[in-house]
Amino acid sequence: MGVTYEIAPRHIQVQQRDRWVMPSVKAPLVVTKNLGKRYGDFVALHPLDVKVSSGEFFGVFGPNGAGKSTFIKLLTGQLKPSIGGVEVLGINAANDPQKLKANIGIVPESESPPSFLTPAEYLQFVGRLRDLDDVNSKVEYWLDWFGLDDKRDTICKDLSKGQRQKIMLATAFIHEPKLLFLDEPFANLDPIYQRKCRQWLLDHVAGGGTIFLCSHVLEMAERMCNRMAIINQGKVLAAGDVSSLKVNADETLEDVFIRLVGQSIEEVEMQNADGSEEE
Amino acid sequence: MSMSATFISRDWSEVKPEENPQYDSNSMGMKLLNPLRGWKAFHVTFRVMFIEEYRENLDFAQKRRIVMFPLMLAMITMVATIGLQFLVGESTAQGGEIEDKTFTWDEMRLFLHLPLMMFSLGMGSFAFLGRERILSRAGSKNYLLAAPALQPLNNSIAHLAYFTKDLLYYVILILSPVIFGMGIGITLDYFGRISTPLLWTSLFPTWLAMTVTLAQGLCLSFLASSLWLRGGVWTKITPIIVIVVGTIAGLGLIPMEIALWGLAVQLNTILVIPMIALAFLCAWIASKLILDDFEVTTVSRKELFEPIYAKLRFLGKGTLRLLVAKEFVDLVRSGSLKKMTVSYSVPLIVLLMMAWLVDFAEAPIPINLLSYAPFLGFFGFNFYSWLTALDAPDHMNGLPLSVPQLIRAKVVVYFLATSWISILFVVLMAWKLDEFAALPVALIVMLANSIYIVSLTAFLMGLRPNKAIFDGRIMVWFWIGTVIPLLSLFLLSFTQGDTEFYQNWYSQVSQNGLEATAVEFTNEKMRIGFQGIMYVSGFLIVASILLMKLLDRRWGRAAFNN
Repeated sequence: MGVTYEIAPRHIQVQQRDRWVMPSVKAPLVVTKNLGKRYGDFVALHPLDVKVSSGEFFGVFGPNGAGKSTFIKLLTGQLKPSIGGVEVLGINAANDPQKLKANIGIVPESESPPSFLTPAEYLQFVGRLRDLDDVNSKVEYWLDWFGLDDKRDTICKDLSKGQRQKIMLATAFIHEPKLLFLDEPFANLDPIYQRKCRQWLLDHVAGGGTIFLCSHVLEMAERMCNRMAIINQGKVLAAGDVSSLKVNADETLEDVFIRLVGQSIEEVEMQNADGSEEE
Repeated sequence: MSMSATFISRDWSEVKPEENPQYDSNSMGMKLLNPLRGWKAFHVTFRVMFIEEYRENLDFAQKRRIVMFPLMLAMITMVATIGLQFLVGESTAQGGEIEDKTFTWDEMRLFLHLPLMMFSLGMGSFAFLGRERILSRAGSKNYLLAAPALQPLNNSIAHLAYFTKDLLYYVILILSPVIFGMGIGITLDYFGRISTPLLWTSLFPTWLAMTVTLAQGLCLSFLASSLWLRGGVWTKITPIIVIVVGTIAGLGLIPMEIALWGLAVQLNTILVIPMIALAFLCAWIASKLILDDFEVTTVSRKELFEPIYAKLRFLGKGTLRLLVAKEFVDLVRSGSLKKMTVSYSVPLIVLLMMAWLVDFAEAPIPINLLSYAPFLGFFGFNFYSWLTALDAPDHMNGLPLSVPQLIRAKVVVYFLATSWISILFVVLMAWKLDEFAALPVALIVMLANSIYIVSLTAFLMGLRPNKAIFDGRIMVWFWIGTVIPLLSLFLLSFTQGDTEFYQNWYSQVSQNGLEATAVEFTNEKMRIGFQGIMYVSGFLIVASILLMKLLDRRWGRAAFNN
């Protein structure tokens, strides 16, 4: 039987932004039904039903290779599910990934901007593809926000990893989407910009935006997320309010993580041992 | 605001495929952005791709040299324009019997369009390129062709923009300088005693016709690569179609004006619009065949490195053996081995068909097995280029390795992976032409050329041969380095039309070993020609060794980067 995690509503003081209008409806922004992915016999993500509403800062945590990135790629139309379906912002991700990508922001785990374009050129490109008004001023704003003014004419190949990461973040922020999917977004950022981005994301959620964040850095869950799920080997081990996952008040999130993932590893080892004995 | 998130996780076995949900897109009352589509998306993408291409070439060749390449082309064409009068027999210095030794205008037009067609066919496999770029986008370099994975852009539009960008780029960088060179040649007509039969009025139609040939080659290659990438039965049908079409065109079973659309435009300029439209239609169909597939499958594979390493015992225990083993693993795992073997074999098949045709038609040219042998070794350039594009080598910057070591390993991989194919084709050709007696010499010539062309490419272009074609200085040396030996061997082979004199090579060598006189030369010209062929082949082998040794000097301090 499957496991259901009902996550209780939690009050967040909403400061409605005037930059964009959030839906008045209470329909969830992300809905999946039986969403699963497998490659031959290898199951990357076991079937999942998910419903996430606006105003959530949702963390997806798990060890390396747990299926976090696969989950995000399925939600953003980068991968086609082997089974089930995804609807994000009312858009069927499989039928119209182009429209979906226009309305969300994606920061992948390990991708850089095109090597031979300058930051300004790439931001103009992604802004124009979305048919944004006044693209140039938006480009200037985000270059300035990320401190990339003096690098505006340097081709991305010649920038540092952190600067390339800032451009990827800027491409996800430039159209100020209602929904952001961030996969290890701060991996290469210095502490100053980590803090600056964290604050922007928290403001974004406070304004009614929704964020999916993938990471194995638990500190981020403590600081930012109001909901989280822990994934291992393509399965959700637990999901709920960050505080609700703790067995007692003394337990840290790291303890929770090790308890859940560790148990899971032990189960797998036991299964492997059973399999060997049967042979 | 009410918020509630639910997560239900199931085992795979608990879900039935028929339970798939049907979602109808609706905006749920939200104001959503509408991405650019169709022409608008194409326009935005094309513009930025053009900038990207310019920057990338600039990055490799630097401004000075990127200007040198078109200049060089213009100069070469200017010289050719001046010399045209001698080629077509319209020089006042030529006598009345000259007609037999000159080319007709039809032949000259064919010489203009055929190499351009071959070049564009080689450059147009955009579907393969796009797939590679999508797969390698998390590597050290990323390109706009991979943008549809994250941005609101579909693969079809991105590929169509790439086709158009490449066509325009080649028109500007290659065709326009050629026409400019012709223009200078005609201008010189007004000064001094230089005279050229080329007219000002023919320049624009020639430019249009060459553009059509270029577009045709690019779009057909694009179409073939898109079909191949559909997978399944298309991976078998596509090479068959390519070989059949290539053979039909090569055998002249269809008029040249139909096989080469640019030739038709050259003869009737009014056809330019329908022909360009046809090329774009082909490219559009090819782009529509490309799926929005961004999957990078994670599949566990059987251990390959150790078994391959063990088989390479003959390379000793050093770094070369390790790198060659690693390159072979890349070759196999990337799935490129089949593609590369097919693409290496196709020109050889066309050459084999040509040999059959010339033999069948009893052409009055003394072409024989030795004439084809150098060309069988020539196509190594393409294979080496593919080898350099298999994987980003940047991770090696942190290892105790140097770029020359990797280049040498790639040359060895090339030699091991392709030699058997070239040998097979030489043997097939010897059988087809019934010239088995000349086979040992042909093998020497082919192998010497094969290893030399790749050594020269590796020495001049290092790990970035695809970008080096726009570096004027490199291309001058490449042109000199390939055309002179190839032409020498081709012309010398004409002296060996009668291969009877090879007949006793086995008995001579078995009786006298290294002291063998080997052949009974029946005439002096044949003997000198034979010596010439052996000297040139020997020179190519020595030059290859020297080039391999000089790699350290040229690339010793370079960073791993392709």
